[in-house]
Amino acid sequence: MKIRTRSIFIVYFLGLLLIALFLLDLRIGSISISLKDMLGHLTGRASLSEQQELILTKFRLPRVATALMAGAALPVCGLQMQTLFRNPLAGPYVLGISSGASFGAALVVLGAGATGIVATWSLAIAAWIGAGTVMLLLLFVSYRIKDVMTILILGIMFSSGLAAIISIMQYFSQASALKSFVIWSMGSLGNVSGAQLKIMAWAILPLLLLTLAYSKVLNGLMLGEEYARTMGVRIQRTLLIIFATTSILAGTITAFCGPIGFIGIAVPHMARFLLNRSDHRVLIPVSMLTGMVVMVFSDIVSRLPGTEQILPINAVTSLIGIPVVIWLVVMNRKAQSL
Amino acid sequence: MSGKKADHIISLDRFTIGYQKDHCLLKHLYLTVNRGEMVALIGRNGTGKSTLLKSMIGLLAPLAGTCLLDGLPLDDYTLPQRAHRVSFVSSQLTQLPSLSVGELVRLGRMPYTGWMGRLSTDDLDQVRQALEEVQMTAYEDRKLENLSDGERQRAMIARAFVQDTPLMVLDEPTAFLDIPNTHELIRLLSRFRDAGRSIVYSTHDLESALRYADKLWVIHEGRILEGSPEDLGMSGLFSELFSASGIGYDNRTGRFLFSGNRRGVVSMEGKLVKEEPVIWTRKTLERLGYGIESGAAVKLTIESSSEGYIWIIQKEDEIFSFKNLYTLARFLIQEE
Repeated sequence: MKIRTRSIFIVYFLGLLLIALFLLDLRIGSISISLKDMLGHLTGRASLSEQQELILTKFRLPRVATALMAGAALPVCGLQMQTLFRNPLAGPYVLGISSGASFGAALVVLGAGATGIVATWSLAIAAWIGAGTVMLLLLFVSYRIKDVMTILILGIMFSSGLAAIISIMQYFSQASALKSFVIWSMGSLGNVSGAQLKIMAWAILPLLLLTLAYSKVLNGLMLGEEYARTMGVRIQRTLLIIFATTSILAGTITAFCGPIGFIGIAVPHMARFLLNRSDHRVLIPVSMLTGMVVMVFSDIVSRLPGTEQILPINAVTSLIGIPVVIWLVVMNRKAQSL
Repeated sequence: MSGKKADHIISLDRFTIGYQKDHCLLKHLYLTVNRGEMVALIGRNGTGKSTLLKSMIGLLAPLAGTCLLDGLPLDDYTLPQRAHRVSFVSSQLTQLPSLSVGELVRLGRMPYTGWMGRLSTDDLDQVRQALEEVQMTAYEDRKLENLSDGERQRAMIARAFVQDTPLMVLDEPTAFLDIPNTHELIRLLSRFRDAGRSIVYSTHDLESALRYADKLWVIHEGRILEGSPEDLGMSGLFSELFSASGIGYDNRTGRFLFSGNRRGVVSMEGKLVKEEPVIWTRKTLERLGYGIESGAAVKLTIESSSEGYIWIIQKEDEIFSFKNLYTLARFLIQEE
């Protein structure tokens, strides 16, 4: 089967690309650590200097791990939204789910100003609640209004509304809290501490496995809810799972990395384009892989190799994702198709 | 759940459908679908065709009454169990995902696959058979958005067919189709019926329903009349049904007259060996709103000539002749 060989080829290609970018990303920085030393350190044959080891394990590895998790999680959110709302332009960012998470985070950062492990958990939980609330509103509206454009516009309105409230909160908040919020809102993969990384991993990895297990059901949803039900999909349970996984995945990433735009909406389309098929059983893992490649690549770009400047990750992902969305809208006039 | 088979695949008892208690569309329905039977549901827009079909298979909740599917109330089945008994094709052909025909049809095997959705060789065999059945084998890798409406509808039907259910329910499967495609599609469904499936479909197209269906459900003034096409025809139901709408229905021919009011009557004289000229002349007269009655003042004769046929109109003492039906039609319109 031609399509099958293509899929296998894509997976190998993306896998190798990811490993290469992963290693490259670990190398980049003020202190250079050669590939040979890194591999030697891992296998125990050579050892790194104490400083090198500290940089590698405390800074670079957590950052790249964060990039990998964000890269795997956000496209899954986008893909689930696109399938559920049967809208190619759906995504956690466009539909306001990321904004919901931002609002939750803003409440914690600007309002409470909590610190330490309490802050970490409260940040995550606030973001989950924020994302979940927007998700609930969207689901509620989509039950009454079937028109996909309306849902999209409502999502954009939700996110603009939340942005307005956040800016009011910023206006009345203290300078130090404001600064940390502004930095957070630019997005960063590097601010995730070891403890936060653990929370992220615990929240994200099981859910990613769950969505893989649900890929057959997502296939059933492609034809819409009615068809799904006549094909034996237990719709309530499925909606609940999509709803929960999207809120928690998007919420967690947003809480710890800030709002990262356009990965959720653009990457599933890249994966579809690469695969030329819509079977979620392949589309989900390939979207995760593609997302990880794009995120690690964005991280490398954001570090502007050769300089000491660091660009906000949100800006980089947007510049990568926006052309994809424009291509989608302009080139693919059959905007109904997924 | 298994074991003895009920006589009826569907049996509605005091079935009442609608949106809310105060807005019920159809009340107290007692209807049945036998095994291996094709039922056509006929009614105008907004009379509740879709609502009935969807309520019957559990996509909408009825306001009252019960629906027995294979002898058991619908609610006794889980959704996966139901998916083994009823497949559905909705009236919407828009908003389909960008799937290939093969991918779409393979989705139909979903109720039979494990949690990873892997298809067995038997599943793939069935998919291949279904594609053959709807004559879409060559289209397997084509994307749905690149198909014509007729092809897309056949692909949707193949998806339902491969679900391998004793009952197939189709909501307006011919809504977007032209006449040849409509007939082809309904013939396809009647082949499924001949293979033992029960089919229920809704349609506007009385003509094909009269031709192929075993039983009609006709929605008329808030009731459903059930019967074979011929029984209902004899009862004069169709003339009554369409008289109000400005569409004439000729109860002797089973044909519709689509022009609003009758322009006049013509008597057809003489006999021809070939049938075609007579048939097409009748069609022309029908289209113009002329009835055919023997002994009418305007007499029409078809004569064969060296160039084909000549149509001769005899009206009072005047005689007009026409070389084709077009000029005849122009004349008849101006006469009025």
